[in-house]
Amino acid sequence: MTIPRSSVASTISPAASMLDIRRVVKTFKNAAGEFTVLKGVDLQVARGEFVSIVGKSGSGKSTLLNMMTGIDRPTSGQVIVNGQDLYTALDESQRSRWRGKNLGIVFQFFQLLPMLSLLENVMLPMDYAGLYDFDERPRRAMQLLEMVGLKEQSAKLPMAVSTGQQQLAAIARALACDPPLIVADEPTGNLDSRTADVVIQIFERLVAEGKTIIMVTHNPSLTARTTRNIIISDGEIVNETVARALPLLNHRQMLQVTKKVQRQSVPPGQAILRRDEHVDTFFIIERGEVEIVLQGKNRQDVTVARLSPGEYFGEVELIRGGKALAVVRAAPEAPVDLLTLPREEFLTLLEASPLTREAIGRIVQNRIEQNRSIDRRGKGWWPFR
Amino acid sequence: MRPRWRKVLLDLFENPTRTLLVVFSIAVGVFSIGVIAGAYVIIANDMSASYAANRPANIELRMDDFDRDFLPVIENAPEIGDVEPRRVFNIRARAANSQAWTTLDIVAIEDFDKNALNLLTPMQGQSKPARREIVIEREVLKEIDIQVGEDLVFQLPDGSEKTLRVVGIVQDPTTGADDFLAPPFAYITMDTLPTLRQPDLFNRIYATVQGNGNDAEYIRRVAADLKDRVEKNGVTVRRTRSALTNQHPLASTVNAILGILLALGVLIVFLSSSLIANTLAALLNQHLRHIGVMKLVGGRDKQVFAMYLVMILSFGLLALALAVPFGGIGAYALAEFIASQLSFNLLGYRIVPLAFVIQIVVGIFVPLVAGFGPVISGSRVSVLSAISGDLASETGSKPQPGAKRETLFERFENAVNAALLRRGIHLPRPLLISLRNTFRRKRRLALTLFTLTMGGAIFVGVFNVRTTLFAYMDNVGRYFVADVTLDFSRPYRLSEIEQVARQVPGVQYVEGWAFASAEILYPDGTVAENLVVLAPPAGSRLVDAEPVSGRWVQAGDTKAIAITEGILRSFPNLKPGDYLDVKVRGQQDRWQVVGLFKFIDREGLIAYGTYEYFSRETNLANRSVSFRVVTDRHDEAYQREMSEKLDKHFRDAGYQISQARPGLSALNNATESLDILVIFLLIMALLTAVVGAMGLTGTMGMNVLERTREIGIMRAIGAVDAEIMRMVIVEGMVIGLISWVLGLFLSIPITYGLSLIVSLAVFETPIEVVFTPLGYLIWLGLVILLSVLASVLPARNAARLTIREVLAYE
Amino acid sequence: MVNSLLSSVSSSSVAPLIELRGVVKTYASEAGEFTALKGIDLQIYPGEFLGIIGKSGAGKSTLLNMITGVDHLTRGEVIARIGPSPVSVHTLGENDLALWRGRSMGIVYQSFQLLPMLTLLENVMLPMDLCGLYHPRESRRRALELLEMVEIAEHANKLPAFISGGQQQRVAIARALANDPPVLVADEPTGSLDSVTADHIFDLFERLVEQGKTIIMVTHEMALMPRFSRHILIEDGELVSTLQPKAN
Repeated sequence: MTIPRSSVASTISPAASMLDIRRVVKTFKNAAGEFTVLKGVDLQVARGEFVSIVGKSGSGKSTLLNMMTGIDRPTSGQVIVNGQDLYTALDESQRSRWRGKNLGIVFQFFQLLPMLSLLENVMLPMDYAGLYDFDERPRRAMQLLEMVGLKEQSAKLPMAVSTGQQQLAAIARALACDPPLIVADEPTGNLDSRTADVVIQIFERLVAEGKTIIMVTHNPSLTARTTRNIIISDGEIVNETVARALPLLNHRQMLQVTKKVQRQSVPPGQAILRRDEHVDTFFIIERGEVEIVLQGKNRQDVTVARLSPGEYFGEVELIRGGKALAVVRAAPEAPVDLLTLPREEFLTLLEASPLTREAIGRIVQNRIEQNRSIDRRGKGWWPFR
Repeated sequence: MRPRWRKVLLDLFENPTRTLLVVFSIAVGVFSIGVIAGAYVIIANDMSASYAANRPANIELRMDDFDRDFLPVIENAPEIGDVEPRRVFNIRARAANSQAWTTLDIVAIEDFDKNALNLLTPMQGQSKPARREIVIEREVLKEIDIQVGEDLVFQLPDGSEKTLRVVGIVQDPTTGADDFLAPPFAYITMDTLPTLRQPDLFNRIYATVQGNGNDAEYIRRVAADLKDRVEKNGVTVRRTRSALTNQHPLASTVNAILGILLALGVLIVFLSSSLIANTLAALLNQHLRHIGVMKLVGGRDKQVFAMYLVMILSFGLLALALAVPFGGIGAYALAEFIASQLSFNLLGYRIVPLAFVIQIVVGIFVPLVAGFGPVISGSRVSVLSAISGDLASETGSKPQPGAKRETLFERFENAVNAALLRRGIHLPRPLLISLRNTFRRKRRLALTLFTLTMGGAIFVGVFNVRTTLFAYMDNVGRYFVADVTLDFSRPYRLSEIEQVARQVPGVQYVEGWAFASAEILYPDGTVAENLVVLAPPAGSRLVDAEPVSGRWVQAGDTKAIAITEGILRSFPNLKPGDYLDVKVRGQQDRWQVVGLFKFIDREGLIAYGTYEYFSRETNLANRSVSFRVVTDRHDEAYQREMSEKLDKHFRDAGYQISQARPGLSALNNATESLDILVIFLLIMALLTAVVGAMGLTGTMGMNVLERTREIGIMRAIGAVDAEIMRMVIVEGMVIGLISWVLGLFLSIPITYGLSLIVSLAVFETPIEVVFTPLGYLIWLGLVILLSVLASVLPARNAARLTIREVLAYE
Repeated sequence: MVNSLLSSVSSSSVAPLIELRGVVKTYASEAGEFTALKGIDLQIYPGEFLGIIGKSGAGKSTLLNMITGVDHLTRGEVIARIGPSPVSVHTLGENDLALWRGRSMGIVYQSFQLLPMLTLLENVMLPMDLCGLYHPRESRRRALELLEMVEIAEHANKLPAFISGGQQQRVAIARALANDPPVLVADEPTGSLDSVTADHIFDLFERLVEQGKTIIMVTHEMALMPRFSRHILIEDGELVSTLQPKAN
């Protein structure tokens, strides 16, 4: 069963990005003073992505969501959704209309209108947007309900069905006007795990059909199923590479790392670390690949490993205080973007996050053991001792 | 102050709009009841007190002319106290600088210094005219634009004019107090009479009784004896009137009208109480979270109950502070208006203790009673439901334990939905939302509908009553078909007058009527009623009679009359065919009543006989003093024009014409006083409609407030401002229209009830109710307007909510 | 583990302060029955800082509502030995519950639940006013002390809207302590706060435990686990003994 839809573009280029948030700042003012909830957020989401946004309560994720749905307006910055600048070009009422046609919103508490049957709830956005013929609307709504498995319940009021079914109906409603983008705020937050799974399956199917879905969630087992995970902490977005490389840090620590790392770009093939060089930086690969190269006995370079984005190097040396034993260089095909963290920062971080220390410790242990085993075979190559 | 009382205090100011709504709802009731109760008491006291203060005569005799020598006959009559002879006659007058003639009743008093009965209250200038001066009653000012020091021009029967200087304005609350349609009075001394070509003779006696001046039976007996005595001494008594000392003759009418207003006032209190109940229920709903918090930290039902009871009391006190002063002022203003209409004086501004007490009772107890239910259920709410807020939001996100039974209404709703679905009919969802929202808060809807329906039904009822009254007046108009009435000072031959009248272009038809005045006697010989018999020729085209029972008089009738229903007051069992004992020109006679008809009785009853019989009885066969003229057009302006032409024509031809009156003028005078009554009723009806609209505004405000979140959702899925506003306004209009339909039905009993009370008060007889679509149509327009107005503000508020505010509730 | 050691020591020497026996909570609706708690047995001992950890919808708030008597259980028993004599919480009527709750436990919610029209001082005085344990003059003094303890004394006469969320939660805690109850119950008290502020609240809780209060706190954040003296995990209405492997 495919959902009826008009057109979905699936090119992933910045120009055609579904969501483009630029330097968005949101400050709330109240009698107690000013409180900045979003501190200059930049975020791009391409068409067809299934993005999860994670953050603790108070981190600003709901505010961020409100920015992309046009529900709240930023203090400064720009939000462009599906090519439409939401805040400079549209007033509140126009945004409502725009939202109805371009955006499906799924809420944690379903938010079906209690006086309308499920079918009528699904038809309502079409009424507001004036899309589809009047007689076409019930047919289309019924198709959507069928898609989420609620055909039998279509005439019931929201009160009369389970919470899971309410959420499924809410998803059908979000799809009513066939919007290219669906924004879901903790869609499974109030559901048991089985129903939550049904919801995510539907989302995955929609993504496969070309929809873009952005979903806020608390649930780690859901973030694992999205194509991209964005962490927001204290009003700022955590560097995705940092989050991937050091998942055991808490969000605040990730954010600290995000702020402390420096970007370094290395042209293809150029060396990053030389043998015996003193290492005082922790490296995380953001883009491109690096090669670990060992000089063989005949002075011939042997590439013993390739590291890809989200992987890191330099940790063994930093922990053990040694010198580089191998050459690390950018792969010849493409330049490499690296994030670097100074030694002291790295060590402070390990101090603050025992889980990370343990995890890295295990990796170091592994690598050293691997190295030894290779060494015993006379091919010891691991650069760090 | 303890925190909980501080909370109560601060809650009062937390939402000023809501507080004002509650306070106004209470205040409207308190105000109306205060105004009416206050006016009732003031009028009841002052009307009679001011009447009694002017020493009203208990007995008034209208007699043929008599001179001073005759006075002892009266003064020495048994049981008679003070006696004062006067001469009263009517004459046409105008201001010196105007050409508009008005008929005045001139009262000549022998000695103003010895004036002891029917006292005049000085208002401006002199109250005692000298020779060739005149003092006017203030009512004259309504007819003639004149000031003290200016001249009044009088037209004498021969057409010549005389001028008298106005030296003062007085008020005469007693003379003619029972007839607010009588011409206004002016006062001169006896020695001014010759100037106006009047003989120096009296024609009226005003007298008090020696005994109890408040015993109607006794006064009537004394009056009957006096009359006999006068007539035995050779002077004919044309009419006898008796009145109590301490009761204004119109007191019962006024009380009846005030009674209607009181009933409406009670209704407004009732309506405002449903408004209060509604608002308080919503307030409690909004405060559920607070109640939950208080219970969470240790508050018990009783404490919460006490807090909100104190809050309600505070609303009541605020309303009292607002309504009591205005109520007092309003009461006096209403009393003053009525007093000025009926020409009596109030004894001065004061606070009426009874009204004050009633207002306090209403202001305190009505809110307590209305708020009791909501407060009890509010203070009993459980912490869980209060904190989670699912009672307030109606979302059902947390399922309530236990499936609830489908109500009758829901079953009906489901059946309708199913029927629509079967036929594949889908109403547009935005309309569906409005419709279903209307019925979501059923108790609130019921209270709102009750208020609005009541207001509407009364409004429509008042229109129906108005139409009923005017239909009745039209009915009365059947007896006033003539366009011009010509009265002469002496009889003329019918053919002669007809011939002269036809010389005036436009005159189509002339008819001479005979007259007789008589007294209807009780079997014991005392006078029951004064009767005027009008006697047109049998088969006259100028009376379009419609007897309610029996038949109309016809050719060949002798000693037969058709009489007004007013006779039933004195003879409740009278039927057509019965006989009445009458006294005509001093002689007893027996007339048969052939039929009864409806009429406005003023200054005694009216009966119709045949010209043929009564002209012979009065020795005026083929002659008459009074003629009816039909012209070629019938509007009042033309009638007036023709009256003046005929007046001038006859005068120029040397006839002694006393007056020429347009036919509709008498009727219009009567209608005018009905208009005042209708305006009063309409004001009350509008007040109830306003209370209804306030109720609707409150309800819509509460509905919007409670559905804030839903409105946010609608915006989130693409509803624009206009859509949200339309949703709210349509809901308001649906409520308005439902109330209109209900009002259609409710207005029927209300119309009957109001008509009965009003007709009994005004005509002293029940009259046939007439319905008019006008009231229903006006109310339809008004209720749509009111419901749109009532919803616009809440709707605008709804549209202004940004989604963030709405969804930020979590 | 230290935690389990501590609780086993307590259980042998002291009677539990609050004891849940086979507590079942079922919600009925038109859509069918939903069992939120499936037979919970739990003992809470004096001086514990107990964390009840679970995802949203796991039943942790329902469990808390059973302990506070805010919601009524379907089956089972809740016995509290807080006052002079043991109380079967589930048998009390709303009014007795309100009074009992007011005197024996302070409750803190995620959304603070301060009364917006009252000053902070008045908010803290309210429970004392309603339960009548302190003379009005005494209650003012005590409220000020409590505000001082949570470091909000300088704002005592402000309205809740005029202070930050973290400060509001401190006031809510002060209010919860107004009648000096031995037990403090907190439902996601840091849920609406940023992480720094949340830390401060936690510090405050730890101080209170040191002073001898028993604190029961519900949270969905696994990361807070180490800070409790004991924690229980709840999932789909049942207590689970093992820690779920954390994803990521």
